Amino acid sequence: MKTIRICCGTGCLANGSLLVAEEFEKKISQASVDAAVECVAKRTGCHGLCEDGPIVTIMPDNICYYHVRPKDVDEILEKTIANDTPVERLLYQNEQGVKIMSQRENPFYAHQTKIALRNVGTISPDSLEDYLAADGYKALKKALTMSPEEILTEMERSGLRGRGGAGFPTGRKWRTAAGYDVFPKYVVCNGDEGDPGAFMDGSILEGDPHSVLEGMAICALAIGAEEGFLYIRDEYVHARRSIKEAIRQAEAAGILGDNIMGSGKKLHLSIVRGGGAFVCGESTALMASIEGRVGEPRAKYIRSVQKGLWDHPTVLNNVETLANVPYIILHGGASYAAVGTGGSKGTKVFAMVGKVKRTGLVEVPMGATLRELIFDIGGGIRNGRPFKAVQTGGPSGGCIPESMLDLPVDFDTLKKYGAMMGSGGMIVMDDRSCMVEVARYYVQFLCGESCGKCTPCREGLKQMLAILTDICEGRGRIEDLDLLEALGETMQEASLCALGKSAPNPVLTTLKYFRGEYEAHILEHRCPAGVCTKLTSFAIDPDKCRGCTACARACPVNAVAGTARHPHAIDAALCIRCGSCREACRFDAVYTEGRDLS
Amino acid sequence: MKITINQIPCECERGESILQIARRNGIEIPTLCWHDGFPGQGACRLCIVEVIEGGRAKIVVSCVYPVERECEVLTESEKVRRQRGMILALLRKKAPDSPEIQALCERYHAPEIERFLPETGSRCVMCGLCVKACGELSVGAIATVNRGVEKEIATPYHEPSSACVGCGSCAYVCPAGAIPVQEMEDVRIIWGKTFSLVHCQDCGRVIGTAEELAAAAKKSGQEPDTLCADCRKKMIALSFRHTYGEIHR
Repeated sequence: MKTIRICCGTGCLANGSLLVAEEFEKKISQASVDAAVECVAKRTGCHGLCEDGPIVTIMPDNICYYHVRPKDVDEILEKTIANDTPVERLLYQNEQGVKIMSQRENPFYAHQTKIALRNVGTISPDSLEDYLAADGYKALKKALTMSPEEILTEMERSGLRGRGGAGFPTGRKWRTAAGYDVFPKYVVCNGDEGDPGAFMDGSILEGDPHSVLEGMAICALAIGAEEGFLYIRDEYVHARRSIKEAIRQAEAAGILGDNIMGSGKKLHLSIVRGGGAFVCGESTALMASIEGRVGEPRAKYIRSVQKGLWDHPTVLNNVETLANVPYIILHGGASYAAVGTGGSKGTKVFAMVGKVKRTGLVEVPMGATLRELIFDIGGGIRNGRPFKAVQTGGPSGGCIPESMLDLPVDFDTLKKYGAMMGSGGMIVMDDRSCMVEVARYYVQFLCGESCGKCTPCREGLKQMLAILTDICEGRGRIEDLDLLEALGETMQEASLCALGKSAPNPVLTTLKYFRGEYEAHILEHRCPAGVCTKLTSFAIDPDKCRGCTACARACPVNAVAGTARHPHAIDAALCIRCGSCREACRFDAVYTEGRDLS
Repeated sequence: MKITINQIPCECERGESILQIARRNGIEIPTLCWHDGFPGQGACRLCIVEVIEGGRAKIVVSCVYPVERECEVLTESEKVRRQRGMILALLRKKAPDSPEIQALCERYHAPEIERFLPETGSRCVMCGLCVKACGELSVGAIATVNRGVEKEIATPYHEPSSACVGCGSCAYVCPAGAIPVQEMEDVRIIWGKTFSLVHCQDCGRVIGTAEELAAAAKKSGQEPDTLCADCRKKMIALSFRHTYGEIHR
């Protein structure tokens, strides 16, 4: 029996994996395959290497194909399924030009350790049988034989900390909630993943929904809750569909609902669809939103474990945190704690995007360095350009320069340097990324996404954006840099919630590590990366240009003139400074220079 | 239990907010979003103070910070002044047309930061008291609209609200004089809606809008008022005199 796993994660779906899946299903049902070989096509969650999707894995041969198109299906069925031979051209080719058969040998996967993603990409998210076959709900069964105290001890032993970014010890959170004698209690799953470029939680919800439900059920047993909510952001249509189906299946099978596995215990889970506000990923704003109020945070001097939803004890955990729980209960806290660093146990999932060669979803032990992530797993920077910075933790995080690439990534280390690991978003940037513009982008994002309740965040962001826009457009003053820092300090100290407190981080870290770039914008009216359009003009070096016409074809406004095999030139009057010519040029002939602002 | 605020020992109950304790002891802490009727919103952030607990100092918001153990509070530390100054400097530009806010900035020596862009013609500091007051009176005619820097306070779709009873509570609690109320002989105009005014049957003074009196009557289950508060007292006093006679000393 052979299984064909077709990745139907969001990235591969966008690349047409559904057509591939349908083609496989059609051909298999037509019995065009050798009748002696039984095989089944399975739609799975994200395989991880989104860059090279759609991905198809054949088990048990353990052969992984990339960039698969519907037209490749016949060949795969004929060669690999019927005759056990690989289709060479669909295999991964490593940097030495060697074709690689299995996923494990691919450098993207070789350095990974999968706990939270253990089933993502291998099981069919729509199939409860698949999940059960992968040891699913065994942890819940085990938890039913344990006392709440035993569950809490095991969680504490694991050292698991909240994967949403704050890193609060999960076991301690559960214990505090368990200690209150106020009922009902609630368990909430935060699936409002909103950081630009992040898709860790979405991938788990889509690819392995039952693991999150199982984690919530174990939490409910430990704290004594009988009701729970999964708050899933509006944009995650697939995730919601996947979770909804999983809840239905689990209830029908008697795993959730009025009588959990015949134990007499109850747990009812329901989905709450977010309204599209980034701030609702903040726990108290999220709870306000579930209650039907405006999604504004409140002061957290009294914690949600004491007074959360409707003022009742509530445990709110992130999707990834919950997905780790069944593993911990099944294999023991100690085995989980054996992975990771002293203060940060276990693994962390990252969504690595940007100018890195192999973008995708990765899971590594805590304490892996940024260099391992970006260069060993991600394969380094695209097009051989130099690494400039990596932005971690979304709008709350910071930009980390090359000098800090060997720092271990965990909850505590990056914080010391003004950045944070955050929930796992990781945007890699090369020398053509302007750090002032990056800071401006995040501040602009937050201007629209702050809830607007407290003064430092709302007004501070507004003024910050005005100043950063001025700098990007050549109206900056050198005193602005001190003012940005002072403003940033007030926002960090006096804002109401974590959004406001961390909102200045992108500005403060770029000021700290890339101050020279700010100064070039202000003092020389020059954007060193050639990104800020008001300060940049594009030109072609006639000595380097081979007249290949790639730039002329890429230009959206026909500003590049020249005949084939002769050096081209850019008409500055027509040029809109989009940088398409520079991206298109393979000879590094397009360069940028400052612009005469007068 | 006991805490000290600016070295002054203050008696307090566990769970009380620092702001309440300070107020009771005559220690001034500036606020915009606090009103005795609706305490503890934590929105304006002006009431920040420095709390030293177990040897560790931190900035907290005094209107919502509950005192759980003995601590030392500083309302005018260097750090508090600096942060409060910056918050006021921001508000100065948020509400350049509000004399109340500008006066507060002077009082607390807020820096004038020319680099900050002023919001032209604005008086509102988005403290949210008006929305709170309107909601607590179970009228709910106004609410915050949008989010982020676009957030504002408005009636639904910026149209005159059918729910508004013209009571003017929103304008009454506003610390910045940001809600315009026009009051003529017989009408009051607020939030783009015109209300006819009811006058005291005795002295002729305005006692409210017809809608407001009707809403209050509905809530209390009594007939709508026809007298102003003073004349009502007078009337009650007269009936007392009728019953018990003149009191002679």
